[in-house]
Amino acid sequence: MASQYTREVSYRIFAQEFRDSNLSFKDSNDQYSPQYLLTPTGAKINRMFIVATLTEKEDIGTDAEYWRARVVDPTGVFLIYAGQFQPEAARVIAEVESPQYLAIVGKPSTYQTEDGTILTSVRPENIHVVDAATRDRWVVETAQCTIERINNIDSNHPDAVRAKEHYHPDVSIYRKMAQDALKDLNSA
Amino acid sequence: MIKDISKQIQDRFGQKGYNIPDSEIETRLDKLINEFKVPAEEAHRSVVNFFLKEYNIPRDEFFPAQGDTPTVQVSDIDTDNKWVNILVRVVQLWDNSHESIDQIGLVGDETGTIKFTKWASANLPELVEGKSYLFKSVVTDSYEERFSVNLNRTSHIEESKEDIAEVELVPTVEISDIDTDNKWVNIRVKVAQLWDSEHESIDQVGLVGDQTGTIKFTKWAKSELPTLVEGKSYLLKNVVTDSYDGRFSIKMNRTSLIEEVSEDIEIGTTEVEFIGAMVDIQAGSGLIKRCPECNRALIKGVCGEHGKVEGIYDLRIKAVIDDGRSVQDSLLNREISEQLTGITLDEAIHMATEALDQSVVIEKIKGEFVGKYYSVSGPKLDRYILVDTITPLGPIDNSEIEAIISQTEV
Repeated sequence: MASQYTREVSYRIFAQEFRDSNLSFKDSNDQYSPQYLLTPTGAKINRMFIVATLTEKEDIGTDAEYWRARVVDPTGVFLIYAGQFQPEAARVIAEVESPQYLAIVGKPSTYQTEDGTILTSVRPENIHVVDAATRDRWVVETAQCTIERINNIDSNHPDAVRAKEHYHPDVSIYRKMAQDALKDLNSA
Repeated sequence: MIKDISKQIQDRFGQKGYNIPDSEIETRLDKLINEFKVPAEEAHRSVVNFFLKEYNIPRDEFFPAQGDTPTVQVSDIDTDNKWVNILVRVVQLWDNSHESIDQIGLVGDETGTIKFTKWASANLPELVEGKSYLFKSVVTDSYEERFSVNLNRTSHIEESKEDIAEVELVPTVEISDIDTDNKWVNIRVKVAQLWDSEHESIDQVGLVGDQTGTIKFTKWAKSELPTLVEGKSYLLKNVVTDSYDGRFSIKMNRTSLIEEVSEDIEIGTTEVEFIGAMVDIQAGSGLIKRCPECNRALIKGVCGEHGKVEGIYDLRIKAVIDDGRSVQDSLLNREISEQLTGITLDEAIHMATEALDQSVVIEKIKGEFVGKYYSVSGPKLDRYILVDTITPLGPIDNSEIEAIISQTEV
């Protein structure tokens, strides 16, 4: 019998690290094989969970609605795009007023500009309005997950090895980013 | 040389009670060996066959008596196509599945049990369950690394005075004892969960448990066994252990038996707690209908087992909780779902009736609960936590954040 389907984990990545990510790949040539994005601290992600503040939204669609939303965490901005293929998420964006805390489960997506820069964005699977306490928990959890990855960056885990090879990351930057996010929370 | 062979042949026929004159044997041998230059071995064989025919002696009666067949114990049987004798007790007789088979079942001695097949063409006496027999000249066989013995035309059966009392019947084991595959066992269990069968060859699939744990079971459609009902306890006899990816399961096949037991078997489990964000609620949550026969969740009003039925409403939530490192599927039954959402089953039915749409319930629950943090705890069954407590997490206090900050300093 076929092995049981395992759901992709929703990784916790701060906006700054997500923006710095540019290595996108599949594990096999199979068209149904999932697309991954490898981040500088070695998270190999096909799904992510974000809780951040909606600051701006705009319907950039020509015929059908196509929403672009900016959601902000303590380290930067995530761009969220939702159109007719994400009807539930698009409806939530259409209905909410900014600013608002949003919890977003979605897939990372990359786009290459003409000058070769890779831009990352999120294609949401679901979006829900949440409260400040949920946002704070997300910041704490994301900081912890980030620090865990940094602490494992010198391990021989294939994702860590590949991240080091590709990004040569100065992980102290990400460590400071996570710590600042926590301190920011505590002073609030 | 002819004299020697002649003597051998005469002795063998003598043992079976047939007295053949020396001269007759010698004449035939002489003719074959000296006149026709037949090799001695071939001549020997030819002469034996000639006299078997001549005296109308059944071959089966003659050859097994040759006595080279080793008498072995059941656990010694580890190759196929070997002739052996075994002294065994008939543990079980199974329903015959083919007209070419006379009797089929399990026999055993103190070292284990083994399947036997007695072919109709063997014309052997009827075996009785519980009695002991010496099986002479049976052939070992294997199928997918499970061994069996076949009783054919050459085999003999003698009822044994010696009662193989110490026979290890199919052992009744506890789930935690199951650690090898391809073993026949009996287990006393309660059906913990029934899953939706993914294949027509599978009649039922799910989890059963006893006080030592739970194990996946697969009941093949071919087994034609009665339907297991969630929450009921059974004695499952003659099930075969199996393993996949280091995880054990049991298979129920045509020879398995199901007996419902009145005792309510308690499922022992390991209580676990998981903290994370609810990232999704899966299809089949909210207001659902179950089959009145087997309690299975209906898909579009259809039960996988009983077809289109008048379903019974139920409320459940299949929540996906995720902590950024791993995913935990969590199952909230009606009681826990009602507690969490504040929506009772009756209210949910009312909501669905008003909206003329059963899915309003799951949509409302998703809108209110996905994207937030929870602590869930309960027994873990396979990949699910059967939630008996779910607590939404409130604000983190500053001291907790302080502690985390200090951990991040290196």
